[in-house]
Amino acid sequence: MLFGLTPTRDPRLQLLKNVVLFKDLSPRELEMVNGLMHERSYIADEVIFDEGEEGQGLFLVLSGRVKIVLPASANTLLLELGPGAFFGEVALLDESVRTAQARAIEDTQIVALFRAEFLSLLDTHSNIASRISFQLAKVLAARLRHAVINAHQHHQAT
Amino acid sequence: MNRSLASGPIVWLGIIVTTCLLLVLFQTMLWLVLPLLLGVVTYYMLSPLVNIAIARGMTRARAVFIVTALLSVFLAAIALIVAPKISRASSNWKNMVVGYAESGVKLIANAQTTLEKMVPYLHRPATPPDAEKAKSGAPAAAAADEARENAVATEALDEKVAAFTENHSGDVALELARWIPSLLLVPYITYFFLLDGPRFKRFLVRAIPNAFFEKTLYLFYRVEDQMRRYFQGLLALTALDALCLGTGLWFLGLHAPFFLAIMAAVMAWLPYLGSIGGALLAALVAASDFPDNHWLPYEVLGLFIGVRLLDDFVFLPLTVGRSLRMHPLVTVLMILLGGAVAGISGLLLVMPVLGVVMVAGQIIGELVTDQRILARHRHARHLQRQRAHIDLFTG
Repeated sequence: MLFGLTPTRDPRLQLLKNVVLFKDLSPRELEMVNGLMHERSYIADEVIFDEGEEGQGLFLVLSGRVKIVLPASANTLLLELGPGAFFGEVALLDESVRTAQARAIEDTQIVALFRAEFLSLLDTHSNIASRISFQLAKVLAARLRHAVINAHQHHQAT
Repeated sequence: MNRSLASGPIVWLGIIVTTCLLLVLFQTMLWLVLPLLLGVVTYYMLSPLVNIAIARGMTRARAVFIVTALLSVFLAAIALIVAPKISRASSNWKNMVVGYAESGVKLIANAQTTLEKMVPYLHRPATPPDAEKAKSGAPAAAAADEARENAVATEALDEKVAAFTENHSGDVALELARWIPSLLLVPYITYFFLLDGPRFKRFLVRAIPNAFFEKTLYLFYRVEDQMRRYFQGLLALTALDALCLGTGLWFLGLHAPFFLAIMAAVMAWLPYLGSIGGALLAALVAASDFPDNHWLPYEVLGLFIGVRLLDDFVFLPLTVGRSLRMHPLVTVLMILLGGAVAGISGLLLVMPVLGVVMVAGQIIGELVTDQRILARHRHARHLQRQRAHIDLFTG
């Protein structure tokens, strides 16, 4: 078919099924979300996004490893992520700038879900988008709780 | 942190030059650009329907098939209704053209007479023989001479128009036949835009280097959003114009008011000239269908001016105006420039082309002036080159 657009069964569906954001979706719904994603390959040490850039969407690690660092604070390592993990999720919700840098530790394959496409999913398939949003809210709430506990412990320690 | 420079005069110069070059290019391949443009318009018209069908649980392929099938049935029904009328009219089109030309001449003559009555200063002074005849007490003879002159002039005009239609009827038929294959492409193009548009977009995005990926994706979104809002706004504006004009013409008692209104509203896609053409066409039809009602063409022109004002102050800001967010002076200058570089097609295409080039230019301007993104791209290429050299040098 023209431009190699023939629809085939995508092997990454299996991996997406295990991602917490998509765990409530049926196989057909997952296939629809998969159709919105953009796949990218990064070579080891390549920057995926930079601190201060305007974020456009969420990234999900298919294979390889990614580190999240703070270049402004001597490349302080915040997180290391492997297959199935996602990052940059705040950009799915608003147009704020990235607060850290993401860099591939080894050769890495990721998929990106772009904010505009997620918003169009909210229009056309609000049931799917709302379930993803709910899972995302749960993840963000857990991170907030974790940050509050950390700050509290740090305050007590000092 | 904003590391890029804002869009300056060089980016804007690039936008204007690119728009002009594209207009010249499009003029040379109008046979392809026009069906593509109509395909895009139809795509934006039908995509909300496809989205509704998908939201109801249909697959994209089925939704696109059903929506385009419904469109084809609708177009076929219109063709079946309109074709016999066009066929009847085309057998008599020479007489029709002559009739409309005569009505136009009468309309101008009436306007001149009315103006002369209202403003005596404009009244033509009698020529010397006329003045002598009037003095010699033969006003009836002078009037008869004038009527004879008018009859001769009208006959000469009829002959000229008849000769013109005779000479050019073949050309018109050939030109129409030349466009039919291109126009048949429209539903085909629309079908594939609706079916494969998202996948084609992802296919294009795959070619973008990683460093530019997020910003380019944003560019795609902005360009698509600009085009969608422009064309959906244009369609909404056409529907509103057609409704207002049709209601007004129906109120004035013209034949086929909504057909005329739709024609005039579509002609208005051509900025300025289209609106004037539509108004003159409707005034001619009024003068031809109601030759005894001298005021009707002026009422029709008044209606068009009223709807034009409504367009400028109410409809345009609500529809197309919002989509392009362009300064009115820039709009007028670009329309003039479009007309100058690419004629009628330039006038028609300048606004959508400028809208897309403007967004693309601003984002590309941001990309190529963002030193950090360029540095990241160079870094990625350096890593790839290093990887390519591994194992080449041994010992």
